[in-house]
Amino acid sequence: MSYALQTLWHERQRYASGVLAVTFSAVLIALQCGLLLGLFKITSIPVDNTTADLWVGSQEVPSVDLGKPIPESYLSRVAGMSGVDHVELYVAHFANFTKPAGGTELCYLLGSSLNDDAVGTPVVLTREQCDSLTMPNAIIVDESDVKRLGLDNPEGKAKINGKDVTLVGTVRGLKSLAAPWVLCSTHTARHLLGFLMPADHVTYLLARCTSPARAKEVAAELHSQYGTEMGVYTSEEFSLRSRKYWLFRTKAGIAIGYAALLGLVVGAVITAQTLYSATAANAKEFAILLALGVPRWRISLMVLGQSFWVGVIGILLAYPACLGLKYGAKQVGADVDLRWEVLLGTTVLTIVMAIVSGVFALRSVRQIEPMTLLR
Amino acid sequence: MTRDEGQSMRWAGSSSTPSLKGVNLVRTFGDGTARRAALHEVSIELFPGQIVQLMGPSGSGKSTLLAILSGLLEPDSGQVLADDDGVLRDVWQMTGKEREQYRRKHTGFIFQGYNLFPALTARQQLEIVLRWGEGAATGDARRRSDEMLDRLGLGKNKHKKPAQLSGGEKQRVAIGRALVKNPSFMFADEPTSALDWENGQKVIELLRDAAHQRGASVLCVSHDHRILPFVDVYYHLDDGHLERRALPVE
Repeated sequence: MSYALQTLWHERQRYASGVLAVTFSAVLIALQCGLLLGLFKITSIPVDNTTADLWVGSQEVPSVDLGKPIPESYLSRVAGMSGVDHVELYVAHFANFTKPAGGTELCYLLGSSLNDDAVGTPVVLTREQCDSLTMPNAIIVDESDVKRLGLDNPEGKAKINGKDVTLVGTVRGLKSLAAPWVLCSTHTARHLLGFLMPADHVTYLLARCTSPARAKEVAAELHSQYGTEMGVYTSEEFSLRSRKYWLFRTKAGIAIGYAALLGLVVGAVITAQTLYSATAANAKEFAILLALGVPRWRISLMVLGQSFWVGVIGILLAYPACLGLKYGAKQVGADVDLRWEVLLGTTVLTIVMAIVSGVFALRSVRQIEPMTLLR
Repeated sequence: MTRDEGQSMRWAGSSSTPSLKGVNLVRTFGDGTARRAALHEVSIELFPGQIVQLMGPSGSGKSTLLAILSGLLEPDSGQVLADDDGVLRDVWQMTGKEREQYRRKHTGFIFQGYNLFPALTARQQLEIVLRWGEGAATGDARRRSDEMLDRLGLGKNKHKKPAQLSGGEKQRVAIGRALVKNPSFMFADEPTSALDWENGQKVIELLRDAAHQRGASVLCVSHDHRILPFVDVYYHLDDGHLERRALPVE
């Protein structure tokens, strides 16, 4: 065990505040990022809940809910590509939802094919629900949106764009951020949208390819041939594109950046102060080493070593705390997306923060003078 | 014949050439009217194989002289000539890095406080000096540390941390830390003041052994008159003036 780690362990009560400060920073950063990513997952729900490999929409479509109508005839361009097994139509657009008891909400219609081999059918739908949706003007919403849309009221009739709709079921896992997602068939969607969706137009063409690798190649080939007329993305690309768009559009990334920065600054100040006072407490022992000719940089290295270990131990304590808080958040319906990129980024940031704190604490090493040992 | 003359003759192995010379050392503290001279043109010679005691009242400049001779405090004027591998060099004409290297190679220190790292074992207190000072390999540092602790009678305590050691044992570990690199000069500042006489006697015997058996030049600053029978030369410093005095006859 290194002298730095051994000292840290022996004087663990002294270093506890620094370790806890690192833990606090790491939890704050990881949870903030995880909550944000979890929140913005909602923006890509339509993409993530299908089994399509490719999404073809209007040119440079920034997010799945902002697609403009494209001609259905583009279907032949996609179907004609080698490696494409299946192509289908997908109709999606904002619509005006009138609650049964009055009042309106903006909703987002997701009209997909409901056949057995369809790739656009939301994966959360059961076979029975798919069958129910084939009825005219049948809709399904997430159970969390039932109250918001006034569908818990047995009286009255809900309307979309002024046309009667019937709720035939609810699902879980399709929570909305702003406008509730409303699932229906392509036929119902066209009927409800009316003039908003020109004849012979759809919002997206969804395709299944022979393999995900082939999907990437097909996307690249279609993009090079028809990039000026349509946007072609793999599902992963389109999902990420949708999340990024809303992340930057809403400037939520900046807010999270400030919160993370605050966590880092608080952590850094406490850690630096802890290391400073711990080093000052051992000043006489270090002074002896300096008197014996040990170079000052060796002592500085030990302080930096201690700051590194403070960071590592802080991170090790932070992760179980993050998982616990993630579980707690899930119980109240919030998704914290603690993907490996978030955990790795948090680790790197907080360890760098701990080492930078160590660098600030080095002023205590510079103040050590062997002369102070003489009475 | 005074006892110190007898001692000088007894240590036939010791050289007639001083290993460390302080020449006309002057050091003042403070400014303006508060300016006070701690050392007035002090000259002193230390020889290999000799243990020298420096006594004097509090504030007489003892620690200042020790600090200047050991390369820790720069004098206002005067020279500190030290034997650096057969060549007498002025310690205060060296660059900071050279002086650090000189201290690493040649000097050992013992202070009144033991100043041991609470987290480290007795062995590690010695190892750290060798590993961080000389850059000794782990195995070599361990072997030399164990040898030194065995010699100090601390072989059974090498895995103990300071909190598990008595005051006398701690001071012996501190001596081991100073001696493990086999220094040419040993500077001890009140090494026995925190110990009872039984342990103090053991400590001073160890310092005497460092001089007589290892050929080191040992300068011991102390108020303790009971040490005098163990030393070879006795200096008295008062108000910045140094005077060599005869040792009491046994």
